[in-house]
Amino acid sequence: MLRDFLVLAGSSILHRKIRSWLTVIGVFIGITAVVALISVGLGLERTITDEVAKVFGVDTFVLAPRGSFGAARTSEGSDQYALDLEWLRTLDGVLTAAAVRQRTAFVQGQPGPEGRLAQGFLPVMGLSPELITSFSSFVGSLEVEPGGRLFQEADRVVAVLGREVATRLRVDAGQTIVIAGDADKPEITFTVVGILATADDGRPQQGFTSGMPASATTIYIPYDTMESLWGPAQDVLVTLVRTAPGRDVDEVANRAQAELRARGSRVTAITYSDISSAIGTVTSTVSAFLAGIAGISLLVGGVGVMNTMFTSVLERTKEIGIMKAVGAKNSHILSIFVIESGMMGLVGGIVGTLLGLGLSAVASAIIGRMFDVRIAVVASPVLITATLGGSFLLGAVAGLWPARRASKLPVVDALRYE
Amino acid sequence: MPLLELAGITKDYRLGKTFVHALRGLDLTIEQGEIVALMGPSGSGKSTLMHILGALDTPTSGTAAFDGQSLQQLSENQLVTLRGRKVGFVFQTFNLVPTLSAQKNVELPMIFLGVPKRKRAARAKELLTKVGLADRIRHKPNELSGGERQRVAIARALANNPEIILADEPTGNLDTETGGTILELLRRLSVDDGRTVVLVTHDPEAVRIAGRVIRLRDGRTVEETANA
Ligand SMILES: Nc1ncnc2c1ncn2[C@@H]1O[C@H](COP(=O)(O)OP(=O)(O)OP(=O)(O)O)[C@@H](O)[C@H]1O
Ligand SMILES: [Mg+2]
Repeated sequence: MLRDFLVLAGSSILHRKIRSWLTVIGVFIGITAVVALISVGLGLERTITDEVAKVFGVDTFVLAPRGSFGAARTSEGSDQYALDLEWLRTLDGVLTAAAVRQRTAFVQGQPGPEGRLAQGFLPVMGLSPELITSFSSFVGSLEVEPGGRLFQEADRVVAVLGREVATRLRVDAGQTIVIAGDADKPEITFTVVGILATADDGRPQQGFTSGMPASATTIYIPYDTMESLWGPAQDVLVTLVRTAPGRDVDEVANRAQAELRARGSRVTAITYSDISSAIGTVTSTVSAFLAGIAGISLLVGGVGVMNTMFTSVLERTKEIGIMKAVGAKNSHILSIFVIESGMMGLVGGIVGTLLGLGLSAVASAIIGRMFDVRIAVVASPVLITATLGGSFLLGAVAGLWPARRASKLPVVDALRYE
Repeated sequence: MPLLELAGITKDYRLGKTFVHALRGLDLTIEQGEIVALMGPSGSGKSTLMHILGALDTPTSGTAAFDGQSLQQLSENQLVTLRGRKVGFVFQTFNLVPTLSAQKNVELPMIFLGVPKRKRAARAKELLTKVGLADRIRHKPNELSGGERQRVAIARALANNPEIILADEPTGNLDTETGGTILELLRRLSVDDGRTVVLVTHDPEAVRIAGRVIRLRDGRTVEETANA
């Protein structure tokens, strides 16, 4: 019987082609907007989390200064923290770890034309060599000018310079600089082994994926050597930790955070899942907000369906009377009208979903071109089914009230209607 | 037991503050298998009576019984089922569904009874052939002449093999020849299948097939004659 009702409802829709189409248009405009906005939102989220995953890797976590990430972000959080890197490397579940510490130091370079030494207070960064060997995705593709090199694990008193500092200190690869540490420590002479190349456009190179852009104004030396100048690390900016294969990153990260805090390091462990859920929160809030706005047009579409159905009921009063006279129950009439309005909703949903997905692909391409990234185009099956189901429901619900009125008409009165 | 038994039927229509008394205390008994002709001037209440006979409308007062079952005691859905299974209506104004083809219009009563599609289609074609419309099956009502619509309406009334056929001026729009075919069809339903037929008519030809003629005036029966 349902099939017959579908046919009856369908023939009535087709009989009033123009009005039915106008109603369907009212529905699909709203659906298009909702689907497009949500799809673009999902695409952006997917793109960002993919990029994060590429840099981060799912087996790695970051130790950042406490209070610098997430809801607990506070203004009093310091930028640097104390760390015993050697101890951290022995923690159960840790495969390897690399850290960055930073100081400002008095540095002397080579003499100029008048014999005066180039010198000044400059930022000095201590990098674990593992940063380059094991965490290259964070560092991006660092390149040195021809004739130089980056330092390796065996290196102790070597330095790599940004282009600007090198110029200022008048040094080239192979020459030396002198860095002064704490007052009670001796000055140390470093051999410059490489100078960071600048990109073609003159800016220091900086990959999109780079978590830590190379700076042209910084002096880089091995992490361990920092200790000879300033003692045990109190000035760590960031630590990267890779967990042993098969270990639960979040578990190791939580334990590392707890034990480091107990040892006096003010750190927060951030894992891939922390970052992606933070991104998810932001993007889904934005998507929900946009979809809410688009939802208003859906509501308008629903009222349109209701209006059409009311007109249709009025027009077909006599037809309803005929059907009841030849044996249609009230529930039959109700079903026919609800199916009719639901079908208009569903057609609106199908058209709207297709247009919405198309629109989101176009929008992603445009946004992608604007920001020079490739934005993923997401056609979420959940979204599509929910939209189609929802649009049928929208139509059906909008038709329910008119349909009830139709079914309740007394037969003879309905028959007499002209 | 008579098929239909009406006693003391009145029907009032309210028009603002005044009442139209369409039926004023009418008694009527109709036996299984007979053909009854209802006659009377326009406005005498013939169509109103037909609606009450077919359980389409309820009287203001009085009792109506179908097959010994009092209609007042039936729920709305039970009345619908009764109409669907036992009553075939041919309305004065045809009352075809304009969006449906002749065949679908004839199928309509069967759809609501849940008759399977094939059986339904076959029966509709058979009935349309019977009323001489074999080549008009796909036509919509507005693509048919008045007489053709009349015949589709008759085919529809016969769809569910009803016990009683209530026909409001079934030959009013037909030429003598087609009208004659229809009347013969109705007569056969009574004589061969034992079905009951009530027809409203002004047509002397139609009166000829009736076993009984009932005349209405101002909402009452004024004359009952048995036809030989
Ligand atoms: N819904 C209604 N509201 C008010 N008055 C009505 C209604 N239906 C019928 N009437 C009145 O009841 C009376 C009987 O109407 P009915 O349709 O039964 O007449 P009829 O005998 O079938 O006439 P005709 O031969 O012209 O078809 C008429 O005077 C009509 O005006
Ligand atoms: Mg009449």
